Order: sequence, then C-alpha cells, then structure tokens
Amino acid sequence: MALLNRSDWYDIARDTNWTPKYVTEEELFPKEMSDCFDVPREKWETYDEPYKTSYREYVKVQREKDAGAYSVKAALGRMKFLDSADPGWKSILKLHYGGIALQEYAAGMAEATMARFGRAPGMRNMATFGLLDETRHGQIQLYFPHEYVSKDRQFDWAHKAMHSNDWAAIATRHAFADIMSGRDATSVALMLTFAFETAFTNMQFLGLAADAAEVGDVTFSNLISSIQTDEARHAQIGTPALKILIENGHKEKAQKLVDIAFWRNWRLFAVVTGPSMDYYTPLAKREKSFKEFMVEWIVGQFERNILDIGLDVPWYWDTFLEDLNTTHHGMHLGVWYWRPTVWWDPAAGASPDERDWLEEKYPGWNDTYGKCWDVIIDNIKNGREDLTLPETLPIVCNMNHLPIVGVPGKKWDVRDHYLDYKGRRYHFGSKVDRWVFEQDPDRYAGHQGLIDRFLAGKIQPANLEGALKYMGLQPEDCGKDAHDYAWVWNYNKPDKVAV
Amino acid sequence: MTTVPLCVNFESDFVLQLVPVESDFTMDQVAEAAAHHSLNRRVKPQPGRTLRVRLQDGDAPFDRDATVEQSGFQVMETIEVYYE
Repeated sequence: MALLNRSDWYDIARDTNWTPKYVTEEELFPKEMSDCFDVPREKWETYDEPYKTSYREYVKVQREKDAGAYSVKAALGRMKFLDSADPGWKSILKLHYGGIALQEYAAGMAEATMARFGRAPGMRNMATFGLLDETRHGQIQLYFPHEYVSKDRQFDWAHKAMHSNDWAAIATRHAFADIMSGRDATSVALMLTFAFETAFTNMQFLGLAADAAEVGDVTFSNLISSIQTDEARHAQIGTPALKILIENGHKEKAQKLVDIAFWRNWRLFAVVTGPSMDYYTPLAKREKSFKEFMVEWIVGQFERNILDIGLDVPWYWDTFLEDLNTTHHGMHLGVWYWRPTVWWDPAAGASPDERDWLEEKYPGWNDTYGKCWDVIIDNIKNGREDLTLPETLPIVCNMNHLPIVGVPGKKWDVRDHYLDYKGRRYHFGSKVDRWVFEQDPDRYAGHQGLIDRFLAGKIQPANLEGALKYMGLQPEDCGKDAHDYAWVWNYNKPDKVAV
Repeated sequence: MTTVPLCVNFESDFVLQLVPVESDFTMDQVAEAAAHHSLNRRVKPQPGRTLRVRLQDGDAPFDRDATVEQSGFQVMETIEVYYE
C-alpha cells in the first residue's frame, strides 16, 4: 500500500488537543508548568513549527547519525589521537564533556516539560523529538570520553562534574536551572531553545566541530557535528512561540526572559569558549579569535533573529559588545591561577608568540592582562611556583557564580556591583547580573554561592585544602599547567618560538 | 576580637578576593593582608609608596591606624586597596 505524503496527514496527526472531561483545562495545563503568560488555548493552536518530521523519519535519520558517529569512533579508536594531542586540546575535551554531558540530560527534562506541558500541539511534538535528542546527546557524550578514563582520570569528570560542588559545576547548574528546570514550558521555549540554542549552541557546535577537524580530532568533530544537526532542529521550538506571545501583547515580558537567558549564557560562554579559543587551542590551529567568532556568528545571527521576530536587542547590548574585549581574558586568568580547583589542565597560552597574537586581536592586552602574566612568568622563572598558586578564594558573583573579574594593569577597572537585599549583601560581577537578580529577587535570594557556603562553615577545614575536598577534587584530579610551564622558557630564547 | 571577611579589590589586579582580617587590625594591617594575595603574585610592588584602604567608591582613605571595628566594616564589605 502506498504511503501518504507527510504533508497530507501531519497536521491532523500531531494535533493532540482535546477537550478534557475529567479535569479542567487549568488542571491539565497548570499555569506554573505550562504558560506563565496565560495565552488562551485557541491562540496557541496557531503555532506552526518550521521543521516538520514524523517519528518514522526521525528514527531513520537518528539511526544513521548514530551509526556514523560510532563507526568513526570505532575506526579511529586505534589511531591513538589522544596520545599525541596537544595538552591544550585535551583540556578543551575535558572541559567540554564535564560541563556539557550531564546538562544534556537536564535539557532532556526541559524538553520533556515542553512535550507534556507545552500549550501548542506542534511544540509538544517537536519537544518529544527534542527529548530524544538530548537523551542521545547525554549518552554519546558520556560514552565517548569513557574510553579515555583509563589513560587520564580527569576524563572521569565527564560523569562526575555535575554531581560535585566544584565552582564550575555550581555555576553551570545555577544557570541551567534558571533557564530550563526552573521554568514553565513556554519560558523554556524562549530561554532554552531560542536564547541559548539558537543564539549560542547551534553556532558554537559548528565552530567546535571545525576546530576539532583542524587539530585532527576526527572522532570529536564527527560527534559534535552529529549533535549540532539535532540542535539545529529542536532549537526552532522557540521562534513560533515568541511570535504568538508578541502577537498577543506579551512582547515586554518575552523580551525580559530572552534578555535574562542570553546574558546568563554569555557569561558561561566567557569562561568556557573564550579561554578555549584564545588560549587553549594551539596557536597554529587558531582560525579566529573568540571575539571575531562571537561578532561574526553569535552577535550577527542573534541580532538578525531577534529583530526579525519583532523583539529588540537586549538593553545591555553595548555592555555585552564591550565585554567581548575583556571578560574572557579575566576568566581565563582566574581559571589558570586557581587551576587546582578545576578538572582540566588550563593551558596558559601566554608564550611570547601567543602574546603577540593576543595583542593583535585585543589591542592593549599587554598593558592590562599581560601585566599580571609578567609577574606570573617571573615567578615561574625564579622557581617560585608557590606564588602562582592561590591561598584564598576569589569572590564569586551571586548570579553567574563565576569569579568577579575586571581589567587589570594600567586600565585597572574591577568592580563589585553589589546589592543589599533583606539584610544580606549580594555580590555581582556586572550591572547586568545584578539586574537579573532584581527582576525576581526572591527567586534567587536563597541560593548560597561558594563563598557564602565557605562563610557559613560548610567547607572544612576553612582553607583551600578544605575547598578542594568540598569540590570533590582528589590531588590527581586537580588541574595543573597544561604544558608544565614549557611556554615560560621561550622568554629566554633570543628568537621567540611558540610552544 | 572577631574575624571579619572582606571582599578586596587590589589596585591593578584582575579579581576580587576573599581576605579575612581581625576586627582590631589597623588599615595598614588590612592592606598588608590584602597585599599577600596580590602583590608579587599578579601585581608588581611599587617600592616607596604606601598602600591605603578605602570603601569601593569612597572618596578618601581611612586613617592608616584606624581599626576595622572603628571603620565600621561589615562582613563582606567591599574595599579597595591602592597605592597612595
């Protein structure tokens, strides 16, 4: 029997709205779980998802994707790429897997929220596939690093990181709980799929796959490409939802949720992708600076997307564009200095040739961040590694839970954007982080950041050793300089040579 | 005498740091405690110049021999330590 074309039956088949008899509509779709905007049901029925697929088609394509990624892994497994990979690239892998793999499962739960509580049949249908996508992403990104665990126990943090109290895990969990697990289905569509996946991950995964290919990591490149194609599909859940919200007079509230999510994701990007691109990737393999990548792929695309749909660029856009010059350099310096507190080995990326590159891409780098690195380099050359390791904790932001950093050196500009609320002082890394808090203070006020926990006596002994223990880091897990300071000795050579 | 944790912003450094001090510390002792975590680590010392302490956005520094208690510092007060 001939099959009907999908277009002949799709709209009827996926229209799973019905009139409930045994419960009320409100009980079936509680506002807190479904739609904080309270758009009427009939309005949601105009939701038209741009990407349509059937379950049969989905399974066929996904099976082929998995077969491709796993067979490449199996075929290249014997090439021992990891043994010869630059330590900086290995750190990118460890950081990626630890920060991402389990959050994919959390994203699956967010997709499940939309699949069950989404008000539009089309949203529920797409999110069902999104749930399957994210489950796959979690599994595949745990399976791939698992084979490296026997060679390097830091890879075990692919599974461990999100179960720990490591500061990077706290920061990641807090951000994703805010845009995924702690929101209703409609807000998830805006904050996760539109503001995070459309703006950031879809593009970032394209860039990451290209970088992996450039350094010769074919397995990882295939894996990331395979994931990106899923992201490109389910990231489209948010756009038709935004269209309905704007048409029904909810532009202002929708704009606020998008603005919050974009900023929260940007700050995570600044500590993960920024250092990876500008410091960890071997100099010879760098295609673009982080800023160039952001301007071309993230800023341009997001501006077009957001204006096309009828929203405005976020109110803090100028601040964000200025941030592209600075924040990730401070985050990198912080991660490198507090390297025992992370599960990867940060590459300093501050050899003479790398500094020339940084100065070219970020004019003024030597007079600012370079001043701090000058002191660090002198200490290593003089045998004072102890002075390149921390004896206290950085203050972390009560919104993004990352160190509060700014510009050092000749243009010293570091600020605490604090706020006193109900008898407690909250510290923020920027005015935008403080603004996010102010939008719904009681949503965030109860959370204790790492410093709050330290001061509350939850970290014992109350020193760095106790902090490492609290974060779940064994001595063998703790990050070290990725190149064992080899980059420093290039400063002694008459002709500068990159490590 | 009680321990007062402070949020310290040290001139020319890139990050805010947690620095615990005692309530009877003078401002010179506060500056010294702060300097331990920045000077010679990421900031070059400036011999012959004096470190002073002020509140973030404060116009003037506190007297060098004023104590933490006399200065009214709250827990996690944000202070700037800078060269005069």
